[in-house]
Amino acid sequence: MNLQQPQHREGDRSEAVIDLDRLVLMANQIADFFAPYPPLRRHEGIRNHLRTYWDPRMRKALLDHIDHGGEGLNADVVAGANLLKQADTEQKGYYGPPKA
Amino acid sequence: MANPVKPESNVVTTCAYCGVGCGFKAETYKGRVVRMIPWKEGKANHGHGCVKGRFAFDYYNHPDRVRTPMIRRSIDEPWQAVSWETAIQHAASEFRRIQNQYGKRSIGAVSSSRCTNEEIFLVQKLARAVMGNNNIDNCARICHSPTQFGLSATVGWGAASQHFDSILKADVILVVGVNPTEGHPVFGSLMKRRIREGAKLIVIDPRRTELVASPHCRATLHLALRPGTNVAVLDSISHVVVREKLYNEAFVRERCEWPEFENWAALVGDDRYSPDVIGPLAGLDPEDIRRAARLYAGGPNSAIYYGLGVTEHSQGSTGVMCLGNLSLACGMLGREGVGVNPMRGQGNVQGGSCLGSWPHVFSGYRFVTDPEVRGSFERDWGVALDDEPGLRLPNMFDAALTGHFRGMYIMGEDPVQSDPNQKHVIAAMRNMECVVLQDLFLNETAKYAHVFLPGSSSLEKEGTFTNAERRVNRVRKVIEPLAGYQDWEIVVMLMNAMGYPAKYGHAGEILDEIARLSPAYKGMSFPLLERIGSAQWPCDENAPEGTEVLHTVKFPRANGRGTFMLTEYVPTTERTNDQFPLLLTTGRILSQYNVGTQTRRTANSLWHPEDVLEISAEDAAARGIQDGDWVSITSRFGATRLRAILSARVNPGVVYTTFHHAKSKANVLTSDQSDWATNCPEYKVTAVEVVRVQPVVENMAADTAEQPAEEAFA
Repeated sequence: MNLQQPQHREGDRSEAVIDLDRLVLMANQIADFFAPYPPLRRHEGIRNHLRTYWDPRMRKALLDHIDHGGEGLNADVVAGANLLKQADTEQKGYYGPPKA
Repeated sequence: MANPVKPESNVVTTCAYCGVGCGFKAETYKGRVVRMIPWKEGKANHGHGCVKGRFAFDYYNHPDRVRTPMIRRSIDEPWQAVSWETAIQHAASEFRRIQNQYGKRSIGAVSSSRCTNEEIFLVQKLARAVMGNNNIDNCARICHSPTQFGLSATVGWGAASQHFDSILKADVILVVGVNPTEGHPVFGSLMKRRIREGAKLIVIDPRRTELVASPHCRATLHLALRPGTNVAVLDSISHVVVREKLYNEAFVRERCEWPEFENWAALVGDDRYSPDVIGPLAGLDPEDIRRAARLYAGGPNSAIYYGLGVTEHSQGSTGVMCLGNLSLACGMLGREGVGVNPMRGQGNVQGGSCLGSWPHVFSGYRFVTDPEVRGSFERDWGVALDDEPGLRLPNMFDAALTGHFRGMYIMGEDPVQSDPNQKHVIAAMRNMECVVLQDLFLNETAKYAHVFLPGSSSLEKEGTFTNAERRVNRVRKVIEPLAGYQDWEIVVMLMNAMGYPAKYGHAGEILDEIARLSPAYKGMSFPLLERIGSAQWPCDENAPEGTEVLHTVKFPRANGRGTFMLTEYVPTTERTNDQFPLLLTTGRILSQYNVGTQTRRTANSLWHPEDVLEISAEDAAARGIQDGDWVSITSRFGATRLRAILSARVNPGVVYTTFHHAKSKANVLTSDQSDWATNCPEYKVTAVEVVRVQPVVENMAADTAEQPAEEAFA
């Protein structure tokens, strides 16, 4: 991550709530954990993790990034994050990957 | 210290240092604390105490204690002493101004494991009910958040499965990444007692800690693994358990999800986790991995104790899952003498975890996204609550750098000193418009604060702490708060000033609210604790006096069964290379406590006046470094200087230091790599280079601030 990041002055806000490089790194780390699961559980696991632990602005920044090509993102992150858009998968938050 | 005259009175309370939570009788003379006597009836310590709890209490009366609220418009201006009312009004109006300008979610709060359950719960309420968002976190984020995640995923609750005394029935003790004789001394002594009685000890730690070899205590096996290879080594131990069929099939079939066990066995049973593959990777003899697996699985009673050496990694949560998996597979849960037990660093880390100081869960680990749970809090608190998870502490700093986060209330924490990648944290702090710090001292974070609210030490307040064995102990007011208010009273004032009508006559009323809203604490109350001394949660109608051992019948998961997570080893991106060829790892020493805010202000500093760098003779010789030389330590993130000592405790390739002194700036070095699930920082692995330098001329003026307090009765 870039340490020489310029400081933002009052009223000056960049669009993403968190530096995009950091978001991409965090999302890819989540995908690394779920990698050993079969595809459906892997993607649901990533979706649930993002839904339960990520601030909505972080999720939005990730989805915006995906809409702009999702550069640097693991393909499983894209598949998992896209599940966030489906209202019918909306359910109570819970830990870890989906249960058998 | 000269023995004081006969004390006039005494109060039984709980030590605020480590997670053992020893009971002490605090003796006073003329309104001052003069002696701390370990309390015989304390169920965590049975009359024992350590050098911190017994002697390091003078800090409360140190001349550095701030006793007046202070404010300033900008961090470049000097502090201005003001009345409580002015300070609270200023904080409240600034927070509201920022929210009006940048939105509801532009501010947040951080609570401390040095504060009581009641205070932690109230800070959570401040964020959720008053600020109207879930930007609430606590310092467990940077130590044991992976415990909550990893243990919840496998056994259901992120807490120790045992009470301390359970270790007296253990036959095999597996200690992973924790140094209990220095970090949790009273429990460390209990562990040594059991080892002297013949229990076998396996230590997995890059460093030869005191437990590995000390008088009357010797580890059967020491796996001195390379920092960053925990998950590989634990998977390899599991590999042996699976391949040699050492697992407890009856237990797994009866108590766990069998299909998940099979998935897990297929993963760890694969050749890539064979000790012959992992041994060389981790710097271990493959036979030692096999021996450790056989010893642990053989029991008959094997107990796991672990600490930040497991959690503070990019795979911290995965490491905790490995321990959950292993104990389930071998049937080492649900009775005395076994279990998985996180050793908690601070007096109330367990309470901090239990009581909802998290951006995603309310007290009792129940999700803010769950409408039913949220509804119960909305009814009790009389306001609508945010249904989305908030920002975690490191994400608050990240969001401060992008201008989305502008104000923060911090109770009893020093993120500038204790959080990783200090440059990044300082840049974030500088970007905030209102930082409200409530503490005993002007700590490192105070340099970036706009409002300072002088808090109270644990000797000056009523409440409870929850120790590492889930035991809720009473904290009692020994003396009046030096600055006028207990910390929870200050939070209430801030809530009121921000327009929320909170009102409590006594800290016990807050515990009643906790009990009303948190199932595991349902039976807790001041009267119960007065009557029986202390109680371990869960405490409810089924267990009116609490619960010593968890998981005896079923696991607290929806189907009552334990489950197995797939724990693939993913190496950290923080790696050595030609420029940074050594791995720095960190730990603590017996006489000091964490960042030293308290212990450095006591005579305990005589035992450990400075942090030093432990380096192997081989690495030192290659760099022309001799014992006692000053060295510079450089990482990809920063540089600092320490005195080096040649040590046989670390292997070549590994260097080690403690982080008790602010001037050592250990966190200038640490990276912003963090756990994949919780963002718990990777403190335990930093690639560095060490170079001999000319001695530093000590800045005497700066040091005087850290001199011990004058003796109470000189």
